[in-house]
Amino acid sequence: MTMPQETSPQIGLPDRRLGLLRSLGASRDTIGTVVVVLVIAAVAQIVSGHVPAYIMPEPLVVIGAIGTLLTESYVDIAVTMARLLAAMLCSMLIGSAIGMVMGLFESVRPFLRSLIVIDTGIPALSWMLIAVFWFKDPETRIFFILTVILLPFYALTVYEGVRALSKDLVEMVDTFQPTKWQVLRKLILPHTVAYVLIATKSAVGYATRMVVFAELIGSAVGIGAQMNMAQSNFQIDRILGWTCLLVILNLLMQASVDVIDRRLLKWRPEATVR
Amino acid sequence: MNTPKNTTPSVVEPPVIELIDVSHRFGTHVAVDHLNVSVAAGEMVALVGRTGAGKSTVMNMIMGSLTPSEGVVRVAGHDLSRDRRAIRRKLAVSFQTDRLLPWRTALGNVELGMEIVGIEAGERRRKALDWLDRVKMAGAASRYPHELSGGMRQRVSLARALAVDPEIILLDESFSQLDHVTSKVLRADVSALVRSLGKTLLFVTHRIDEAIEMADRIICLSAPAHVALEVRPTPAQRADSRECERLHAQIARAMGGEDITDEALAAANVTLLDRARKAQ
Repeated sequence: MTMPQETSPQIGLPDRRLGLLRSLGASRDTIGTVVVVLVIAAVAQIVSGHVPAYIMPEPLVVIGAIGTLLTESYVDIAVTMARLLAAMLCSMLIGSAIGMVMGLFESVRPFLRSLIVIDTGIPALSWMLIAVFWFKDPETRIFFILTVILLPFYALTVYEGVRALSKDLVEMVDTFQPTKWQVLRKLILPHTVAYVLIATKSAVGYATRMVVFAELIGSAVGIGAQMNMAQSNFQIDRILGWTCLLVILNLLMQASVDVIDRRLLKWRPEATVR
Repeated sequence: MNTPKNTTPSVVEPPVIELIDVSHRFGTHVAVDHLNVSVAAGEMVALVGRTGAGKSTVMNMIMGSLTPSEGVVRVAGHDLSRDRRAIRRKLAVSFQTDRLLPWRTALGNVELGMEIVGIEAGERRRKALDWLDRVKMAGAASRYPHELSGGMRQRVSLARALAVDPEIILLDESFSQLDHVTSKVLRADVSALVRSLGKTLLFVTHRIDEAIEMADRIICLSAPAHVALEVRPTPAQRADSRECERLHAQIARAMGGEDITDEALAAANVTLLDRARKAQ
């Protein structure tokens, strides 16, 4: 066998170029965010000069409030984050399992699908009010509310993922005569990782809003509860401070998901549209 | 012209693949019609036929993924309708497309089959690296499929099939999606590799030149799948362009049935031979 080896597609240079373009795009995004934040701060500064402080405090006062919140209320931040992560993890596991069962077992698919569709049609507020009646413990209430709200994100996305699994790959794996467990572990689970991450990206922002809302109604600890207290005490600077912190926390979580995405899905080719 | 129907080929070695009076219907459509084929150990056999001749149906039955409506399919002595798992590790397949798992590197893909059949991790890694080396892909072990060319991916796919050390290798139009030169190089490599290992190779193709070049025996299927012709290309036929042309014409006629005229066949042969000469 003296034939020459084939060469791979040119991946060195385009990858470097792609990296450069990506970092250029990322820095543009950062610049855009900074510009928008500065414009909002400037508008807030101008408005604060014309209205009472209880309506719109100066941006510097809000920044001061953020500092106070970070030093005084870090427990509330930690509690909110822990609730969020626990509920997201649980929804991820249960929702993904439901999605997988929907994708793999035709007999139960119509029932589970209907259940999920009904769930998506129930307003978040209804779940919150129902949870107050159903559960005495505030932690259980919040966990329940977040789980039922987030679960459909995972179930439907993973279901679509299982449906999108290439029949060719199933046939290929089948030629080695695997057990059902091997098919799940070697083929279906790795394939659905991308879909679980897509669902997480969609759910994380929504989950942040919902956890605060649930805490506002059902708990005495956490960011939502603190915002409720600030509202009762007419502390607009604290409400704005918490709002800014929530935006930052959401951005940090999105960035964390992006890091996980890049690590777990490094096998995916980058698609570029020229 | 000699076009025997439903013949049982005379083979010296005991057959490792046997299709005995096999028929298969999809509803009312007859895809395979009382087919009798046997392949001996160490043979390299081509299954040629036009699109819709039932080649893939026959392959699926040999893989055990399709149960025939009638007849018996035996692989390595096992009746597949009774015990499909008996051929685990005895048969491996390489398909028309590479079918590599995109989330695994070339090395990970080669390890896949061995993981499933239960080879221990250390030995698996060693064997996978060895097979990548044999298919000339040693330098690409850590690359993902999207970073490889079509020919390279097909080589990895082949290494994945061979790594489980099967007795029988099935190639389902494995070279058809590659350009002419890459396909030719890969065919030569596969032939040399399979012969050196003494494996049995059954490959499906619709390209007559590919079959003549690689196979010890060519089984020509005509729709619904039945043996329309069976030939053993001789070295003289492969070497002499006139002889090769004649064999080519014989196979093409068997593939096409009675609807192929001599003029059309002559034109097709000229085109194919011209292409072959240009490629050389």
